[in-house]
Formats: sequence, structure tokens, C-alpha cells
Amino acid sequence: MTDELLAIEGLGVDLPSGGWLPSRGRPAINILSGVTLDLKRGETLGLVGESGSGKTTLARAVLGLQPISAGTLRFDGAPLESGSDFRAIRRRTALMFQDAAASLSPRMSVGEAVVEPFVIHRAPAGDRRAKALDLLAEVGLPPEMAARYPHELSGGQARRVGVARALALKPALVIADEPTAGLDVSVQAEILNLMADLKDRHGLSYLIITHNLALIRHVADRIAVLYLGRLVETGPTAEIFARPRHPYTQSLIAAEPRPDPRLRRADLAIRGEVPGILRRPTGCEFHTRCPIARDICRSTAPALHTIGTGHFARCHFPETTKKGG
Amino acid sequence: MPSAGRKTVLRALLRDPMAALGLGLVTLFVAMALFAPWIAPADPIRLNVVEKFQPPSLAHLAGTDQLGRDLLSRIIYGARTALSIAITAVGLAGLAGLVLGMIAGFGPRWLDGLLVLLFDSLSSLPMIMFALAVITVMGPGTGTLILVVVLVSIPAYARLIRAQTLALAGADFIVAERAMGASGARILLRHMLPNVVGPLVILLSMDIPVVIMLEAGLSYLNLGVRPPTPSWGNILYDGYTSLRAAPYMVMIAGLPLVLSTLGFTFLGEGLRDALDPRLQGRGAR
Amino acid sequence: MTEAILSVENLSLRYRVPGGAVHVLRDVRLAIRPGEVLGIAGESGCGKSTLAAAMIDLTGANAERTSGAIRLRGEDILHLSADDRRRLRGAEVAMVFQDPMTAFSPVLTIGAQLVDFQFNRTGASRRDKWQAACGMLARVGISDPDHAMRRFPHEFSGGMRQRAAIAAALLMRPAVLIADEPTTALDVTMEAQIIHLLRELQADYGCAIVIVTHHLGVIAELCDRVAVMYAGQVVEEAPVDDLYHDPRHPYTQALLACDPARIEERSGRLPAIGGRLPDLRTPPPGCAFAPRCSKATARCLTDAPPRVVLGPDRSALCHEVAP
Repeated sequence: MTDELLAIEGLGVDLPSGGWLPSRGRPAINILSGVTLDLKRGETLGLVGESGSGKTTLARAVLGLQPISAGTLRFDGAPLESGSDFRAIRRRTALMFQDAAASLSPRMSVGEAVVEPFVIHRAPAGDRRAKALDLLAEVGLPPEMAARYPHELSGGQARRVGVARALALKPALVIADEPTAGLDVSVQAEILNLMADLKDRHGLSYLIITHNLALIRHVADRIAVLYLGRLVETGPTAEIFARPRHPYTQSLIAAEPRPDPRLRRADLAIRGEVPGILRRPTGCEFHTRCPIARDICRSTAPALHTIGTGHFARCHFPETTKKGG
Repeated sequence: MPSAGRKTVLRALLRDPMAALGLGLVTLFVAMALFAPWIAPADPIRLNVVEKFQPPSLAHLAGTDQLGRDLLSRIIYGARTALSIAITAVGLAGLAGLVLGMIAGFGPRWLDGLLVLLFDSLSSLPMIMFALAVITVMGPGTGTLILVVVLVSIPAYARLIRAQTLALAGADFIVAERAMGASGARILLRHMLPNVVGPLVILLSMDIPVVIMLEAGLSYLNLGVRPPTPSWGNILYDGYTSLRAAPYMVMIAGLPLVLSTLGFTFLGEGLRDALDPRLQGRGAR
Repeated sequence: MTEAILSVENLSLRYRVPGGAVHVLRDVRLAIRPGEVLGIAGESGCGKSTLAAAMIDLTGANAERTSGAIRLRGEDILHLSADDRRRLRGAEVAMVFQDPMTAFSPVLTIGAQLVDFQFNRTGASRRDKWQAACGMLARVGISDPDHAMRRFPHEFSGGMRQRAAIAAALLMRPAVLIADEPTTALDVTMEAQIIHLLRELQADYGCAIVIVTHHLGVIAELCDRVAVMYAGQVVEEAPVDDLYHDPRHPYTQALLACDPARIEERSGRLPAIGGRLPDLRTPPPGCAFAPRCSKATARCLTDAPPRVVLGPDRSALCHEVAP
């Protein structure tokens, strides 16, 4: 048994650019490329990026819900290549959706929904009703919730049902897409604490996708930052927050509004917008917004530089740490 | 609809006066069709030439026709003909449309393209010409009538279901099912089906009067149900040919057509409102 | 103390729902002074968006004011004629929404709409209005405004749309700009830019800004004063520095304690506020926060809390807070 649970190597995803009939000459749209990342057993990896960075696509590609165009995937040492490889790991992986209520079948009661993984995998669950109540209790929901339908749930309750279902078969890997999006701060902590408790109890590994830096700082062991479908920096959470090396990571951290009026910034951390995926810049993708960009950045795509143990940055000048970043 | 929703749908229907009226009329006609032998005062095809062209009276509440048959009994048995044809035809077409539409929406792209082409070609046929052509080839009769209706209606139903299925395929809860490892059959039957049948049921119930009218029309032209089987169209035809001798016949034959059309249409519209989740939320929150 | 430009006085508002009414605003009192930036903070369901909508007289058809007034320069806008009220919107009080897509009609160009928004500049020619719109787009940071004027809303990115929406709101030089979650739909790098922009514009135009948001970071970056809402009431009002460094109401304290951005120590666990919001169909007789409050005593559950004045511009709605 190895330490590594999930290994992503040189992953690329292209989307055909529309059209129903097979086309010639129409270029595919590149969503992700060259993403190399691994997740260790029991680890929480935070995948950070703005909209259009490809983080949700990455999650779906890892689970075989999105065809990949390059690279290899390995789960628990075994390669994931064909549809049957992915089917074989379905029991051991789970996906939590950004919109938890929408991820529940609208005409299925909560009780049915949480035991659905047992039905799908013909797993012995004993008495299904008792199992459903057990699962609901584990995520802190009262038994009467079993009879409810998804549209009757509050945001926090839907989240809990999502967690219960994800954990029904005691998976090894849980991929959570914005697990607290749309929740109030007072409720988001309840969900995160629940996820942390369940992780401790069942030895799970999490891949948490989010744009919320304040939150990921508290839950992730390691962080990977995506920009326009490229992995720009990855490393231990504490190190990344203390000394971000990629200018994009620095800007992201600096741009986060801080809940303390004494820390107001006078200047702007970052200008401009993420370029459209159809207008991918040449060279380094970030050069159009980068404060330290030079000529080489506009022409040559930088390689991933090793900064320290497990800390990499895709930048030509990773040592040029901006002050106050 | 899930069992939990059934009661609320009925309640919503009864709250809306037009829908309640529609439901009442439809129930009335269905009861007429089901219990025809018990409620019809006389045999609808037994001739009694002596009593021909009798205006409505206590003996014959709706009068008699040119062959002395009891009109009320013919109307009641006519409901049986009209509803059995309309429900069979619309039901078969709905079922075929449901299956084909879901296959098109969920299956591989090439199959979808092929099916859409099929729907388009079917619906590009002019309906009347097509109906006449089929009748010419197969001869008039109930079976022919049903076949025509089924072939002509499938594209509309299949397109509706295909659009619904396509929209659902990208929905989070369907992706969630795939991520859990649910089979295609389970996704289709357990999760997509209950979410696409609602709109179809509404469309079907609103199409039933169209088929009733079509049956009456073709029977009127002697291209539908063969006499002496009582059909509202036949009665209307008889009434028309005997307009001078018995003007009441046309009106009596027309009345159930009008009422059943209104009934099914009101019910369909009521169902549409009652099943609309946006409107359903009114009471819940 | 300067005179308020827009003031909400003891406003109570409820939404009619089947089988009763939800009391979304309960005796809300709030004053906005010329040129200040006021933040209205609170979690979902606290009534902050309803309050913002009420300030510009845009509450829905099922909303019903049960008491109170909203005064613009001293005059109750709810007593004006429908026409006068309409004229007020945009010209005196303007609004920016969370989803900038809804601010524009999808079938007209941005330019056409920005010109139309100046309908009550009667003296100006169409050319003047076009120029004014162009200038405003440039002011909100849209490069090549001439080109942008000829674009349709869907051709703009989310950030550009929000900039254009702000430009539209400022065109008539309103005295008050109300922004309801103006950065919530945006990415963090764009959020920072919009915050920066609002700050610049406020300095340039001197209009009062009301920011409604659940994001405590946005308020800290932008506001002079803050009103914290809970269950339809303003529970604490304070200058921004005091609120973040000396919060007095237990709800404000708990809310700040939950914010992961304020917690330095990394423990993998975060504090939460247990319990649930009260059902506002039947508001509790005592303090709405009492069931979730660690400092609550018996009277908190039975007696309505007093508004305790804690200093200039400072008050809290609480039994247990000491002046």
C-alpha cells in the first residue's frame, strides 16, 4: 500500500468547439493542460482558482465524468484509462456539488437519496431505512428529515444531505466543489467542522475546490493554484500563505478583502480580468496582468520551478517576491 | 408525480374553478364510457323504424334518429368509441414519443441526429393528406384512425421529451448520479422519467379532444368509425343529413363534442398550472 | 451632526404569504448622511436586501409597510405621487444590484441604454448624453468606451457589466447610491477592483453610498459606518473601526468570530453560531438572538431589548450591553 491515493500527471482537457457534426479544421478549446498533482492518503488538498480556471473541469476529469485529451490518472496505484476503470472506483470516490440542493434528485426523498449509493452498488445495507437514519444522524440531521424533499431543505441542510450521501459507502476520496458556497459564515463552519470530523473518523482524503482563500487556509494541508487551466503554484498551505512565489498567487492573497478596516489597502493588488479561454495569451498565461512581467514572459511559457520540498511555481522569476504579498 | 405530490396536485386542481369544471366533465364522460351498458336506456344499434325522428320526450330523452335508434344511448356509447380511440391513440403516441424522445436526448449523438431527422420528416407530412392516404391504403376503420393519430403525434411528443431530457442531462443531480456510478438505465428510469412525464401528461390531456374531433370529423366523412357503431361523428353526420326532419339531432350530437373538448382542455390547462413547480411553491413557502 | 440625506424612521415592513405575513423589517431606524459610506451587514434572511429595496421604493407587490417613513431630504417618499417617486429613482437615489446582467436589457446596446437613462436631462442633446455616457464609462475603468458603447450586455464580462452598471447608476449624479451585494457574483480579483473603484468614485462625486453585503471584508475595506442586521432589526450600529475592534452586540461578536479571515490560528476547526434564525412569521417577544446567545438571561427571552446608546454614532439593541 502506497502513500499516494490519486496521481494526476500531465492532464489535459480539450473541448470540441461546438457543432453537431464532426468538423475539420475547427480547433478544440483547451481547458486544462499539463496539470500534474497528487493527493496522499488522509490529506486535504485545496484547489484554488477564479472562474474559468478549470478547477471544476479538473474535478470531473479525475472522476471520468469529463473525457481527457492528454495525461494519465492513477487511483490507489491502478491506472484509470477506460470507462470500466472509472466504474471500478465509483464506490471509493464521491463528489460533492457546489449547489447541494440541485445535486439531489428533485423527486426523491432525502431518505432515499442518502442510501442510493447502496442501491446503485448493490451493497448490503441491512435495513435501508435504519441505514438512512444512521447516515442522517452522522451528519447531524434529525430522523424526520428522511421524509423531506430537496426543495424543502435549507442551504445548510442540503449540504448535510450531500455530505451524508458522499460518505455513505465510506469512500477513500471525496471531491468537494465549493463545499460552502452560498452558506452564511455562521453555517459554513458547521459544514467544515462536520467534514473534518468525518475525515478523522473515516480516514478520508479531500480534494476541495474553492475560490475562498480565507477558508482553504484553515482546512487544506496543501494548495494548488490554477490560472486559465494551468497549475501555477502548488505547495504546503502555510508556506504558500506565508511566502507565495507566483505573482498570481500573491495577487490572489492580497486581493482578498480583509475584515479589518485598519488593514485597508490603498493600492490595487491586481488589475484587469482573466482573459477569455478563447484568447489565451502567449507565453506565460498570466503576463497580461502580471506586475513583474518581462519580455520572456510574453514569448515563452515558464516551466514549473522547484521552490522547496513539495513547493513548485510556474514562473520565470519565482524568486522575485513582491513586498507585502 | 411522487406520492407526496399527488394530493397537493388534486387540491390545486380543485382550487381552480375552471380546472375543477374540466375534471368534472372529464369524469362524467369517462363514467359514460365505462358504464355505457348500465346507464344507456336502450340498445344503441337496435332499429325501430316506427319510432324514427322522435323529438326528445320522456321515453327518449334525446329523441331518436332516422332509424328510430335512441339518441341518448348512441351518445353514451359514442363516448365509449370516442374515448377509447382518443385515449388509445394518444396513449400509444405518448408512450412512443416518451421512449424515442428519451433515447434521442440521452443516447449517442448519431442516434439523436437520426431520430430528429425522423421526427422532422414525419411532421413535415401534411396531416390531412397523410390521413387520407393511409385510409385509402388500409381502408377506413378504428385501427386505421389510431395508426394515423399515432404517426402524426409522435414527433411533437418526442421533441418535447427530447428537449426535457437534454436539459436534464447536464443537471447537477444527473451528474451526481453518474459520479455515484448509477447505470444509464437507472438514470433514465429512476431520475429522468419522473421529471419528464409531467409536461407530457399535460400535452396528452390537451391532445385528447383534438383526437376526439378528428375521429368525429373522419367519421362524419365516413372515413372513420364504420356504422352502425355509434360515434359522435356518425351521429352528427346522420343529424346533418336529416337536418330538415330532425333539427335537434345536430345539436344533441354536437353537445358532447363541445363539452368533452372543453373538459379535457380545461383539465390540461389546470394540470399545467398545478404541476408547475414555480406555482406550486406558492403554498409551501 | 450633519443632517441626514436619506433616513429610515421606525420602518416596519412585512411580506404577505399564504396563511400570514413575514415581518422582514421591524422598527428599523437608520440615517445616511451626505457623502458617507454606510455598510449594512447581515446574513441571509436578516432583511438587508429588503431594507435596500425599501430605500429606493422598490419592494415587491406583496410587501406592506405597517409603520414608519423613509425620508429623502426630510420628505417621506412613500407619500409622494407615483410619478414623483419614479422621478426620484435614478436621479436622487440609484441602485446597483448583485447580478449586473439584470441591470441592462439584453436587446439594446450599452450605449443606447446609458443614453436612455438620462431621460430627465431635458436640456441636453442626444450627442451630449452620448458624450456623458462615454465619459462615465471611461471613469469606471472601461477602456475604449466608444467601442464599449456599441456593445450588447452579453458581450461584456461580469466585471465589465458591473462597471457599466455603476456608470449607469452614477450618470444622473444621484445623492445616494445603493449597492446590494455588488461584488458577490464576482471573482476576488474583480471584487477588489470594484471596491477600489467605488472608493474612488465616492471621493470624486461625494455621493453617499450604502453597501449591503454579507461579506465583512467588503465592509471593512469600504465603509465609514456599519449597521448589523439580524432577524429584521438593526442590532448594532457603529463606526467601522469600533465595530471590528470593539463589537458590543453578542451577534456582532459571534459573527466576527466565525469569519475564517479573522482567525489567525489554523486548527482545521472553525467556530459557528449554533441554532437557527427565528421564524419571522411570529417574531419572538424578546430578543431575536437570545436563543443563540451565550450571554442571554431570562429577560432576554421575554422582554424586547432596549436600544442602548454606546457613544456618538454607536448603539446596540441588547439587554446585556453596558453603555
